[in-house]
Amino acid sequence: MSDHHKETFLNKYVFSLDHKMIAKQFLITGMLMGIIGMLMSILFRLQLSNPGESFAVLEWFLGSKWAPGGILDPNMYLSLVTMHGTILVFWVLTAGLTGTFANFLIPLQIGARDMASGFLNMLSYWFFFVATVVLLCSLFVETGPASAGWTIYPPLSALPQAIPGSGLGQDLWLVAIALFIVSSLLGGLNYIVTILNLRTKGMSMSRLPLTMWAILITAILGVLSFPVLLSAALLLIFDRSFGTSFYLSDIIIGGETLHNTGGSPVLFEHLFWFLGHPEVYIILLPSLGIVSEVMSVNSRKPIFGYKAMVGAMLAIAFLSFVVWGHHMFITGMDPFLGSVFTFTTLLIAIPSAVKVFNYLATLWKGSIRFTPAMLFTIGFVSTFLTGGLTGLILGDSALDINVHDTYFVVGHFHIVMGLSAIYGMFSGVYHWFPKMYGRMMNKKLGYLHFWVTFISAYGVFFPMHFLGLAGLPRRYYTNSAFPMFDGLSDINEIITFFAIIGGLVQLVFVFNFFYSIFKGTKASSNPWKANTLEWTTPIERIHGNWPGEIPEVYRWPYDYSKPGADEDFIMQTEPLKEGEIEH
Amino acid sequence: MSTSKNNTSKQLLWVGMAGISMFFAGLTSAVIVRSAEHGWNSIDMPIWFWRSTIAIVLSSILLIIAQNQVKKGNTPTVYIVGALVLGLFFGYCQLMGWKQLTAEGMYFIGEGSNPASSFLYVITFAHLLHVIGGLIALLVTSVKAVQSKYTKENYLGIELTSIYWHFLDLLWVYLFVFLLYSVK
Amino acid sequence: MTNILIALVLILLIATLVQVLRVSELLSELKNQDVNEVTNKDNATQSRILLIVGTLFLGSVVWQFVNWIPLMLPPASSVHGAVIDSLMQFTMLLIIFVFFITQPLLFWYGYKYNKSKENPIAFFYPHNNKLEVIWTVVPSIVLTAVILYGLSAWDKITNADTTDSQIIELYAKQFDWTARYAGEDNTLGFSNYKLVKGPNQLGVDLTDVFAQDDVVIKEVHLAVNKPVLLKMRSRDVIHSAFLPHFRVQMNCVPGMITQFAFTPTQTTAEMKIQEGEDFEFVLLCNKICGAAHYNMQMKFVVETEEEYTAWMASQKTVNNTLTKKQ
Repeated sequence: MSDHHKETFLNKYVFSLDHKMIAKQFLITGMLMGIIGMLMSILFRLQLSNPGESFAVLEWFLGSKWAPGGILDPNMYLSLVTMHGTILVFWVLTAGLTGTFANFLIPLQIGARDMASGFLNMLSYWFFFVATVVLLCSLFVETGPASAGWTIYPPLSALPQAIPGSGLGQDLWLVAIALFIVSSLLGGLNYIVTILNLRTKGMSMSRLPLTMWAILITAILGVLSFPVLLSAALLLIFDRSFGTSFYLSDIIIGGETLHNTGGSPVLFEHLFWFLGHPEVYIILLPSLGIVSEVMSVNSRKPIFGYKAMVGAMLAIAFLSFVVWGHHMFITGMDPFLGSVFTFTTLLIAIPSAVKVFNYLATLWKGSIRFTPAMLFTIGFVSTFLTGGLTGLILGDSALDINVHDTYFVVGHFHIVMGLSAIYGMFSGVYHWFPKMYGRMMNKKLGYLHFWVTFISAYGVFFPMHFLGLAGLPRRYYTNSAFPMFDGLSDINEIITFFAIIGGLVQLVFVFNFFYSIFKGTKASSNPWKANTLEWTTPIERIHGNWPGEIPEVYRWPYDYSKPGADEDFIMQTEPLKEGEIEH
Repeated sequence: MSTSKNNTSKQLLWVGMAGISMFFAGLTSAVIVRSAEHGWNSIDMPIWFWRSTIAIVLSSILLIIAQNQVKKGNTPTVYIVGALVLGLFFGYCQLMGWKQLTAEGMYFIGEGSNPASSFLYVITFAHLLHVIGGLIALLVTSVKAVQSKYTKENYLGIELTSIYWHFLDLLWVYLFVFLLYSVK
Repeated sequence: MTNILIALVLILLIATLVQVLRVSELLSELKNQDVNEVTNKDNATQSRILLIVGTLFLGSVVWQFVNWIPLMLPPASSVHGAVIDSLMQFTMLLIIFVFFITQPLLFWYGYKYNKSKENPIAFFYPHNNKLEVIWTVVPSIVLTAVILYGLSAWDKITNADTTDSQIIELYAKQFDWTARYAGEDNTLGFSNYKLVKGPNQLGVDLTDVFAQDDVVIKEVHLAVNKPVLLKMRSRDVIHSAFLPHFRVQMNCVPGMITQFAFTPTQTTAEMKIQEGEDFEFVLLCNKICGAAHYNMQMKFVVETEEEYTAWMASQKTVNNTLTKKQ
């Protein structure tokens, strides 16, 4: 396929229809937002571990209105917590993760020229870009950005009189999220249709790399769950701006008696979490897929239990739709419902456990090559285990009573999302960087990045479980108002210490990434000696991916160290030898 | 090349419609939850919404005929334009329906509003927004039909417009019956 | 001025890093090595670091448990709380057990199977259905036990017999708590948010006969071993009544009344001996509710029945404070 349009800067780098460029747009936007989100967490951690102390850096970043005399304003604290969550959950771990790897890998791994609709794909990025601009603008409004938590429960998120951030800041947040959801849906359409329709000859569904399965399932989850968040947000917009009573009832705020009756905040919670729970699997699944790939390539072994891995992902996806109530055990809902959600939530542990055992079996008797990507993959397994296990406590309604909304939850979700899913993302970047940019990322900086991150991140989030078991609630501006928490200040200081180190070392990654784009050592077209189709493309990256015909596929992607082979890998494009049996 | 593009375009549309369905599933679930609580009024469904239902069903039928015609090699133009006209009439009926509601004291917000009326407005409004997309598609298809751009071999545009329009039709019928039952 | 200096330092730092990297790449070119190739030496080093860091990590986990368990909440001071604590212990032991088997396996496999001259090729082992069945069935059995135990505890907690419970309303607003006892008739008087006015901050319907003996108060006293039914509501946004020592938590939602039943089993005096003179039972807000969310508190005092009766007798009822003032 040849391209007749003249390549201008605009249509090569800005309004590109090429999936590889769109992927990089998502990646870089995601990285920049990640830096902003991380910075926010450092700022509010400073406040938490040193309440009442003045920090010049707070005033430097936030100005004298929100950090007068270097002391963080309590409303801004809640804004930072809200925006940190919003940016990291949606912008980095959803758009940054799926947007990058789905766009980059799908055509390359299934053997297609590009996505089913390059135009919809481009739109998907530009909606995301506009959403980003709107969200960032909300940081600068006079009454402050949204501050009712990333979960924006009404009435707090509906009433500016309840908290200043629920004014214009919340409006902009809602507009940004609506645009974000549209972006996500446009992307999802492409991912599903392309994987189902545009596979090359020989690429049956059972020969798909696990990354493709993961992304396909993620996209289906997204199409079915994001629109429900849109409906929840729409009704919230009406309550906020048009005086309806979908969520509001019996309220006196700021001395004013409101007219709303008959609304239910719990309705919002149901609609929100109907997306909210699948959302965390939308975040996790692509990383599960990436890690399967990286682990196999770098252990020089097939991923153990391909069918079981696919089955487990399908089970997780299906179950993810029926567990949302575990976020709502103490909302006053019918106890019977609570039992149902406990049951389904604990069930989800089974396919998750199966996946972990399969990963361990993949490593067993492997011949492991420790690239930075592989280290992050091993880190993924460790943190997914840790975070998954604490989920057993939170998913049990009786136990949740005393740990709901405490630091126990904060520890849990950061370990599964902020560690596991991000490690998957890092792993993917280090692994596919040569394919994206034709150069290698620096190995030593990669090692440094991994070890400091691995140690600091556990240093930040593991202790949080103890804070939670000591009864410490989340989203508290300071812990000094209750004498019962005085003994916990040492733990808080340790957490902040590791948070600062962990935050700073991410700059090493950012530096490595951008330096290597321009000055990294040139890569060969298959530096990791991997089997999948993307490594058969020329290193210079062209529109349409392959210069001639798209290669045909003859086998599954995991023929590593297959007995009887000449090398320890056989690419999918290699026809079966005489007498060779396909796995 | 065209068959695979046909397939992918249609599938893109199907997946998109699945997403839109979930959006309305969210809204109708909200109605179910809310209507079980106290303070849920009953509303007489405006006669205009009955008329709009007939209009959209008829317009879908016209599109089916249009597609059959083009398959046989005849011109589908009059049927597509007819569907467009009925679609515009659907929009008009919706607006008149809202006008009738306010005349009867059922408002969207403020004094005179109640949860049932608020939901009625929100859901019909959300549907109409999606119908606008369908009307644009019908307009484009009509123009192309007038220009004789569709042949027996290639009438993908009519197919896509029809699929989406039938979806809007069925969605409306579902919402209409659902609301009829919920606010009686 | 400082800002300019900081910016300059940052730029210099980045420039230095760039030069260091360039030098290392050039040196490798001279030695004819690929600076970014992962060699067997790297595999050996990294796998060793993995084992060391992994061990230190597991050690740190043990250290955290040993050092910080004393900081945990004391054993529950309520009947259902003891049920929760047992379930928690069981589940914790289970996950700690699984944790200390699987994490070491992970680090050990990473260490042992590093690519080296001795281990140049992997073992081609794509699947084993029997293993899949085993490690699906075993977790299923374990989780079934966890589920059944959990559901039975949940049922005990949410289906408690409240026929003899003392009813107390907890009214949440930005940023404090007020309690209202149901009085002698153990029935809370009707309330409506539109009736909030002046001293009637809870919107109690003063014409309601059941309201007359209600006691509105800013500190809750409870008689030990006597069942209590808390009824929660909110004036403005969602709050959450969190009483960690009693293992009680329930959202307070405007427009809804939620409830939680429990029976305190230890007096404040007993707890002061156990935990120190400064101990108090306390109610916290545990759902983000605005700027002072971190400081919404109310004291709970658990005392003997005699002390409680004496205390109650000295409190003023709605009849005395609100109705008569009308």
